[in-house]
Amino acid sequence: MDHQTQPVSTRADDVRPVTEPTTTKRNTGELVLAVLLAALGVYLLVDAGAIAVPGSTNTLGPRFFPYLVGGLTVVTGAFLALRVLRGDRAPSDDSEDVDPDAPTDWRAVAVIAVAFLAHALLINVIGWPLAVALMFAAVAWALGAVGIVRPFLIGLAVGCIAWIVFVKALNVALPGGTVLEFVTSWF
Amino acid sequence: MGIDALLGGFADAITPVNLLFALLGVVLGTAVGVLPGIGPAMTVALLLPATYVLEPTAALIMFAGIYYGGMYGGSTTSILLNTPGESSSIMTALEGNKMAKAGRGSAALATAAIGSFVAGTIATLLLALVAPTVVDLAIGITAADYFALAVIAFVAVATVLGSSPLRGLASLCLGLYLGLVGTDVITGQERFTLGIPQLSDGIDVVVVAVALFAVGESLFVASRLRKGAVQVIDHKGSWMTKEDFRRSWKPWLRGTAFGFPFGALPAGGAEIPTFLSYATERKLTKHPEDFGKGAIEGVAGPEAANNAAAAGVLVPLLTLGLPTSATAAIILAAFQGYGIQPGPTLLTTEGPLVWALIASLFIGNVMLLVLNLPLVGVWVKLLKIPRPYLYAGILVFASLGSFAVNADPLDLVILMVLGLLGFVMRRYGWPVAPAVIGLILGPIAENNLRRALAISDGDLSALTDTWFSRIVLLLALVALVGPFVLRLVKGRRATPEEVQRDGQLEHRDDESVVTSGRDQ
Repeated sequence: MDHQTQPVSTRADDVRPVTEPTTTKRNTGELVLAVLLAALGVYLLVDAGAIAVPGSTNTLGPRFFPYLVGGLTVVTGAFLALRVLRGDRAPSDDSEDVDPDAPTDWRAVAVIAVAFLAHALLINVIGWPLAVALMFAAVAWALGAVGIVRPFLIGLAVGCIAWIVFVKALNVALPGGTVLEFVTSWF
Repeated sequence: MGIDALLGGFADAITPVNLLFALLGVVLGTAVGVLPGIGPAMTVALLLPATYVLEPTAALIMFAGIYYGGMYGGSTTSILLNTPGESSSIMTALEGNKMAKAGRGSAALATAAIGSFVAGTIATLLLALVAPTVVDLAIGITAADYFALAVIAFVAVATVLGSSPLRGLASLCLGLYLGLVGTDVITGQERFTLGIPQLSDGIDVVVVAVALFAVGESLFVASRLRKGAVQVIDHKGSWMTKEDFRRSWKPWLRGTAFGFPFGALPAGGAEIPTFLSYATERKLTKHPEDFGKGAIEGVAGPEAANNAAAAGVLVPLLTLGLPTSATAAIILAAFQGYGIQPGPTLLTTEGPLVWALIASLFIGNVMLLVLNLPLVGVWVKLLKIPRPYLYAGILVFASLGSFAVNADPLDLVILMVLGLLGFVMRRYGWPVAPAVIGLILGPIAENNLRRALAISDGDLSALTDTWFSRIVLLLALVALVGPFVLRLVKGRRATPEEVQRDGQLEHRDDESVVTSGRDQ
């Protein structure tokens, strides 16, 4: 029961004393992000100059709006970097399933990203349902599901059902893999 | 024209096929509203490929059902899970959560559902009444006026709605950039495609929306997953009593009165009206001692405001083609998928479609009341899905929706790259919605800008030719500069104070709710 009141109270504790270690750590990442945004703006401004303008355009060509967006991006990135340097912290972002005090689990993020990219490459080889089942199992494992067979079977079931609904009923183009396509070829 | 057209709309909406799609929409919408991690914006985005096979009326009726259903489902989550969810249901969670813990969960869910129904019905009626008038006013709108409206929508979504204006602008910039990638429609020149042929068609809306909402969210949750079993508060207990009804009906109506106008304004959104509704109910209540311990007024009012605002958002969408929320932006993309450009002419050129859509909202509301009162136990079961399976499943459907667009694995690689971007944005508190709105509204804004300046031969003063555009641009300027000026006046330490005020908000200290509601 006491677990239920925990999120609120820890959040409040987190707020009052501006805790030094987390602040500095968060600030570096935020600063990098703001600088990258400004860099994107510079890229937009530079590359906009390289957009070919057809001779017939007498008024506003394809460069004007990119210049506008690029300028806005540079200014926003610079201001944000400045404010982050002055100690501005991002508002805490809530989600029902997020533990605000947990350290970032980079391993889970990496496993999910790799599993997803692998499934993207496998779709045309082994079919969407099987590729998705493998991805499902890897993601569930990274998030702490027990076992590996059960997640895989659940993923396979989800993949097959979704494939049948979307391909057979809605005519969406998805490679089903040799087995599934053979088994369902009669309807 | 209003009533006859609406009756015609009912005749269209009540065909078995359309009723089926309305039902499908509200069921899907409630499910995704209940499930943490996905929302109506992402669901509509995932189902955008359905526009290739369905006729427009059926698809849009389904999308509208998802939109309304998501609002109903969200209240169930915020009442029965003891963690805050999306910002517009935080206020519902404050009192609703306390009610559920005190064994009054059933009554809290009931007042939320009935309040949503009352607000949704009244607000949809207002939508039907207001839309023709707005169209009459807007029919003479110029390209410059439209550009001004787009600017104020950008500013509002980026700076007024979020808690950090600069981060909202940063997100908007990313969206505008993504919208630029591809081939310029007017001159046919490639822009920012990096020489990759697949990018010359632009980055698909589905891929961006699914990446930022679904993949980014899944990665963010994965990085900080709340360990242990999911704790759902029991929703048993007595249903609404007569006393509960007496205490609820006024907050329902007041919440509707707050929600609809805020939603309908180009600078709208559901957060401000829910804050205002909560603060008002706390002032007007005859049971101030209940607030903070589970006051039913504090659930009824904000929940009604939330739903009325959702209907209000459809006013600028259907009459001006101006999306002011992420879901509205994606519904706009669905219209575009059918070659329909929402705008002042929509009601005349596509009258039957729009009226069938509005009529289906009434029908959907009734379905939602039935789905959410007797069947709430079914939805509660959804809350208990083990999180590893939930997020793995979300990624499966992200893959399905994005791959279905072009059947190109490269889209899935772009999806993951943008998903990582979404993860970083979530991690550092950048709101995601402005990026989606920038992506979809950006090209429309550019088009109108260039049309306006083509007429004037490149003279920039053409942008402020009409009184309408002058006023709207001025308002946008105030909204853009206002927060920064305020911060300068209040001094440099404003930010920790803001955070602290947020903390107080959750502890229900004194009157801080009112001020932070206005500051949003």
